[in-house]
Amino acid sequence: MDELYLDNIDEYVNDQDKIVTYKWLSLTLGVHVNTAKQMLFHYLDHKRKESSAQLHATYLVSGKFVDNGQTSHKVSVIKEDQLEDFKSKMSLIVSVHVYSVQKALLKDSGPLYSVDYDAVKDNLKNCSRYSAIRCASAVPMSPVELQQTREVQRAPTPEPENRKPGVNGEASRASKPSAKPQKGIMGMFANKSAPKNQDSGKDVKAEQKEEAPVVDAPKSKPEAKANPMMNFFGSQAAKKAEQTVKQEEAAQSSTSAEQQRQTSKPEEKRVAAAAAVELPKDAKKDSRSKTKRLVDSDSEEEKMDKKKRRRIKKPEPDSSDEDVIPDSPQRMETREPSPSPKKVQPVSHSNQGNSEMKMRKRRRVLKSRTFLDDDGCIVTEKDYESESYSEAEDDVHAAKQTPKDPVPAKLPSSTKQDEKRSQKRTSANANKGTKQASIMGFFQKK
Amino acid sequence: MFSDISAQKEASSLLCRPASEDQGPVFERTSLAYSLCSERYTVGERSFSRQYAHIYAARLMQMRPLLSERAQQKWGQDVLIRKLCDLETGEQCCIVGTLFKRMELQPSILKEISEEHNLLPQPARAKYISETDELILEDELQRIKLEGKIDRDKFVTGSVIAIYGAEKNDGKFTVEDFCMADLPPQTPRPALSSDRFVLLVSGLGLGSSHADSMLGLQLLVDMITGQLGDQGEQSGAATISRVLLAGNLLSQSTQDKDASTKPKYLTKKTQAGSVEAIRLLDELLCQLVASVPVDVMPGHHDPTNYTLPQQPLHRCMFPLSSVYPTLQLVSNPHQAKIDGVRFLGTAGQNVCDIQRYSSMDNHLEILEETLRLRHLAPTAPDTLGCYPFYQKDPFILEECPHVYFSGNAPTFESKLIKGPDGQEVLLVTIPHFSSTQTACLVNLRTLSCEPVSFSAFSADDDEESVMNVSH
Repeated sequence: MDELYLDNIDEYVNDQDKIVTYKWLSLTLGVHVNTAKQMLFHYLDHKRKESSAQLHATYLVSGKFVDNGQTSHKVSVIKEDQLEDFKSKMSLIVSVHVYSVQKALLKDSGPLYSVDYDAVKDNLKNCSRYSAIRCASAVPMSPVELQQTREVQRAPTPEPENRKPGVNGEASRASKPSAKPQKGIMGMFANKSAPKNQDSGKDVKAEQKEEAPVVDAPKSKPEAKANPMMNFFGSQAAKKAEQTVKQEEAAQSSTSAEQQRQTSKPEEKRVAAAAAVELPKDAKKDSRSKTKRLVDSDSEEEKMDKKKRRRIKKPEPDSSDEDVIPDSPQRMETREPSPSPKKVQPVSHSNQGNSEMKMRKRRRVLKSRTFLDDDGCIVTEKDYESESYSEAEDDVHAAKQTPKDPVPAKLPSSTKQDEKRSQKRTSANANKGTKQASIMGFFQKK
Repeated sequence: MFSDISAQKEASSLLCRPASEDQGPVFERTSLAYSLCSERYTVGERSFSRQYAHIYAARLMQMRPLLSERAQQKWGQDVLIRKLCDLETGEQCCIVGTLFKRMELQPSILKEISEEHNLLPQPARAKYISETDELILEDELQRIKLEGKIDRDKFVTGSVIAIYGAEKNDGKFTVEDFCMADLPPQTPRPALSSDRFVLLVSGLGLGSSHADSMLGLQLLVDMITGQLGDQGEQSGAATISRVLLAGNLLSQSTQDKDASTKPKYLTKKTQAGSVEAIRLLDELLCQLVASVPVDVMPGHHDPTNYTLPQQPLHRCMFPLSSVYPTLQLVSNPHQAKIDGVRFLGTAGQNVCDIQRYSSMDNHLEILEETLRLRHLAPTAPDTLGCYPFYQKDPFILEECPHVYFSGNAPTFESKLIKGPDGQEVLLVTIPHFSSTQTACLVNLRTLSCEPVSFSAFSADDDEESVMNVSH
């Protein structure tokens, strides 16, 4: 073996003023740990014979140690001057070797750890390449294998009672049909966006239903086919025009009738939802990129919106929303990311509404209806109703929209504020495009 | 002894120049059959809407036949086993029931609310026992105060025992003798031909403010992975076939108790202390799992659910190490069969809780007591957080382990006990690594346990020796 390594070590120790531990050396030079230990010893020995500049070394001693009648295996790093002393205390010495060589005298052993830490961190992937122990079973799994083992682990956990989280989880996975195979971390974060997607899916659904009575079916069908292509090319202009027209039409239809329709058509809904689950992601993405410029759409606020909305949504009598989301995993795997056009509507039109202030907009407002039911109980239902308005006639609208208020439009400015806020809460997605007018904007995380 | 095994090899010194033939020795890690038996500690549906009374009912129902049998063994086949409702004054009989200890000092939220004296909050205590404690036995319907030959301070709420004695005129039951369910039946362990080790470590305490213990931890990792030491040591380390981390991987200081009370605008830029600590743990685990199978149990301070049974830490917290099939993330009471030797143990919450509510101080003694009571955590759900089980109490020991451990003890202790039916159990209290720098090695062949300690010099070593001289 040539002795070039002596020069190497000399450079590390004297020129670069490093603490050279056997492990660091082994990783740096790519030699077996035991060789590295011997190299260090050789170097130390060599230098001592030269009796040049002073060098300090630490040693590792391990062996049997008896303390208070308790025999233990003790592994210690000690300074050179304590070596003989320490060895005499051990009842059986198993190994002694040089642990590190450095120019300065170490006060404590902290630096020894940090030196190794950096080296190990750079070589985490193959940190035991030069060690003396091989483990046959410790072979990193490929992403595919990883996926499989996780699926196996996931499958046998029966959770009958927490359907809801399960549903959310599925939705989150569904929303990323082409996600990377490694879902570990992503899955965790996806949960956050999952309910949002779901909600937006619901929005879309609602909107879709509303349309149904006004726009005749054949008209919307061809559009549905044309749109995925457009989606891919990112040109939404044509679609937008059509949509806004439709939405205006839709807005005129009576909302109560729509509500009934919504509940009476579970079959159609299921189909729509299946598609809706996968879509909002795309829709949201492009809406985000656009709206970001206009408004600081803050995730925190969205979250809050979402939470509040969810809570209010619960009392809704038609619970079919829950079963709408498919929770069989195969389904979303087989499903292709073929975005159907309608999903883009709420978002794209809100964009448009922003860019052209004069355009009519639609928003969803939470309204409570009180009525006497069959049993003679007074029931208050909270429902979302959509209505159209334009920014220009906002003031007028504010007054118009709150006729049920006990104090109708006494304080137009404040009611407007309220209106805006409630609007923000109730319709997270449809509303992303509007300006941040509420005081909540102040407390956002930037 | 691990040292002896390691030292047997011919002494090829590392204190010499590297030999010309470059390649160093490489030993193959011994691998053992392993099967996880922790199904009973996984909680599928997590519904917390139930009452805890069901656990006690299920526990008593499951334990009653066992204890009746023990009572008959102890006091004769014809011993009169009564329920409390059939009890007659002055009649010598045996009763099976759940103990309840009424404790004056036991913290109670109801007391805190009801006491409107505006007293200063009581300082946190190490022990909650006092002279005024009362021991009460309950069965399904009734309860009765106990006195006589029963150590009031030693017992804890939730233990199911059988007592023998008679009710006196004042309505109290005078105990003459009592018995516990004792060790459950055990399947004999296979005879092994060679020494194989399982290393038990607990309380790594990552993320604590003082990092000087880190070298010790690194030495531990280096020893296991075969970096440290001479060839003998490395070949010895290759017989460590599994590493079990028994909880409290993270330090208590990573838990920021103020986080929920501080205003959000003050904490928006701060990161939870556990984030950095988990990253450190991932790096550490990555080094370990590349060389040895590792079981990772969560503990009191770790980021998983608080109530027992604690569910395994989530894989996604370990992006580096979770790609290895050798990483096993397991639940907190953890049970596994390693080469036919059954391991069972906890991260130590059950033992610490009993320590607070009884006169027993020694972790090993408490550990043995739980084995004799045939219950892993009798104080759950009273003073120890626990999931509201209702059909079955999973903490009842149905099969006797060969190695029964608890983590995060102040010191290392071990003991081999023998049961009445020839059971052999090694009890181990795994010391807190960050404070003792000690791990323990269990030899599967001999069922013995020895500590492995690590040390490094520090700045105050010199001062200490100076001080010693001056004295």
